[in-house]
Amino acid sequence: MEKTEVSLHEMYKSILEGYLHTGSEHALYEAQQFSRQLIKESMSPEEMVNLHIAVVQGLIPHLPTEVLAANDFLLEVMVSYGLAYREHQSLRDRQKQLESELAVAAKMQRELLPKDIPKNPALDIGIKTVAADVVSGDYYHFIEDENDHIGVGVADIIGKGVPAALSMSMIKYAIDSLPEQRLQPSALLENLNRVVEQNISSNMFITMIYGLYDLNKHTFHYSGAGHEPGFYYNHSSREFVDLKTKGIVLGVMKKAKFKEYEQKLEPGDLVILLSDGVTECRAENAFIERSDIVKMINKYVHLSAQEIVENVYSELEKFQNFELQDDFTLMILRREV
Amino acid sequence: MNLEIKHIEKEGKQFLFLQGEIDVYTSETLKQSLLPLTAQEGNEVIVDFSDVNYIDSTGLGIFIGALKSTHNHESSMKLTGMAERVRRLFKITGLDEIIDIEESEREEAK
Amino acid sequence: MSQTCVEVRSEWSIVAARQAGRAVAKEIGFGSVDQARITTAISELARNIYLYAKVGEICIEKVVDANKVGVKVSASDDGPGIKDLRRVMEDGYTTSGGLGAGLPGVKRLMDEFFIDSKEGEGTKIHAVKWLR
Repeated sequence: MEKTEVSLHEMYKSILEGYLHTGSEHALYEAQQFSRQLIKESMSPEEMVNLHIAVVQGLIPHLPTEVLAANDFLLEVMVSYGLAYREHQSLRDRQKQLESELAVAAKMQRELLPKDIPKNPALDIGIKTVAADVVSGDYYHFIEDENDHIGVGVADIIGKGVPAALSMSMIKYAIDSLPEQRLQPSALLENLNRVVEQNISSNMFITMIYGLYDLNKHTFHYSGAGHEPGFYYNHSSREFVDLKTKGIVLGVMKKAKFKEYEQKLEPGDLVILLSDGVTECRAENAFIERSDIVKMINKYVHLSAQEIVENVYSELEKFQNFELQDDFTLMILRREV
Repeated sequence: MNLEIKHIEKEGKQFLFLQGEIDVYTSETLKQSLLPLTAQEGNEVIVDFSDVNYIDSTGLGIFIGALKSTHNHESSMKLTGMAERVRRLFKITGLDEIIDIEESEREEAK
Repeated sequence: MSQTCVEVRSEWSIVAARQAGRAVAKEIGFGSVDQARITTAISELARNIYLYAKVGEICIEKVVDANKVGVKVSASDDGPGIKDLRRVMEDGYTTSGGLGAGLPGVKRLMDEFFIDSKEGEGTKIHAVKWLR
């Protein structure tokens, strides 16, 4: 510490002396380099002013007493700048710490999501989820049971960031703790609603769509709780139809009933589930409409389910100038054979 | 992204005129204007949406909180003048079934 | 060791407290940067008393410990006290409103810092700066 101060003193002295002699741009350039080093060594403003005063006094003897007094005056003024500088440094450290805590939370959160996509020759599944911030308020779920059913769900917790993320584990644990006979979509949502209603604050809610794909009959039974409607794509007619559902969001009513719907799938047909981050995305003043999403999916419909969701995401990302407004989740199921 | 809120008391009813966007940034001020009104017993609160062009889910949450507050305080809340784009979100979430939303004039004519 | 105390009850007494602190710091042999830091710390402590407790006292004394020497600043008042010490000691809590360096600032300006405060009973702060 003492050593660097001495050397800084010597360095500054020689640069300043050079400048006083030559008045050259080169000396000023050296001064700029020197200031970079000061910042690297976190020298605060008042210390720098003090260094300057000491060096000037050494270089120019017999300075008028008024100048010496004025120097002390400047030093007094600089002390508060020094404090602001140190506070800034400590806030920056604190920010780094918070960021790394949040990164740990995000990692834990990703571990709540299914590790693998169910593999079955009859059903091709693609999923893409991206958080707008570090942590996400979107959740998706897969369940495979022994009776050749695959359960799929997409949930969207109101808002985004930490408040939304904190509620996400509730959804996962609530689904995990349900006995298997309750996995019928309407019953599952009724159960989840009860858990959410009891555990969520009064102006929060969760929307969800849940469906059960029967691998033998190739039917998709689904129910929605106030969730953004999904789509059904008819391969032979090349038409997209909304998967409209009626049902209130989770967490608002003590007892809620959810209607169950059925969609039959032929080979090549798609079921598309999404979060409102997909349809509510906006850039400047332009909104993406549901019809735009349909167009994008249609453009990539010849690809695998995973390739479709990846491509749609990168288009939407570009549209939003790489600044996601809301968490994004898109899931596509395709009947293969 | 801004929301202007005007509160007028007229013929014993509490009118709240909203202008702008109800989103994650503005919903806290809305909450502070709306909840004291619904928390007063017997209050009839009418929220005018004519100049609201956008609402997000955080904004919907404020109205859910307000609805719960009307149940607890025997007050009432009605939303009026809602544009189709805004209304769509109330419909999707099923909230139009439990919140009193006045049909827009065009729809009434149908 | 002799102690100089200044009663704080007006903005003028803040200046008197600074003056007393600078005299002691100079006498001990602090350089101009440290003198400026010590007086700034005294200013902040005195201003806190003036703004929040209205009346209080700032005392300055020379302290000697084993092989080092320093200046100790004590501030005490019987004012409203501080409810949440942890929060007050957080960076950015007071400065963001342009209220000054605040207590974290004082802590930074000095080498040692000690605070005790009870709501409704007042606040006691000691801070020491050692001569290097």
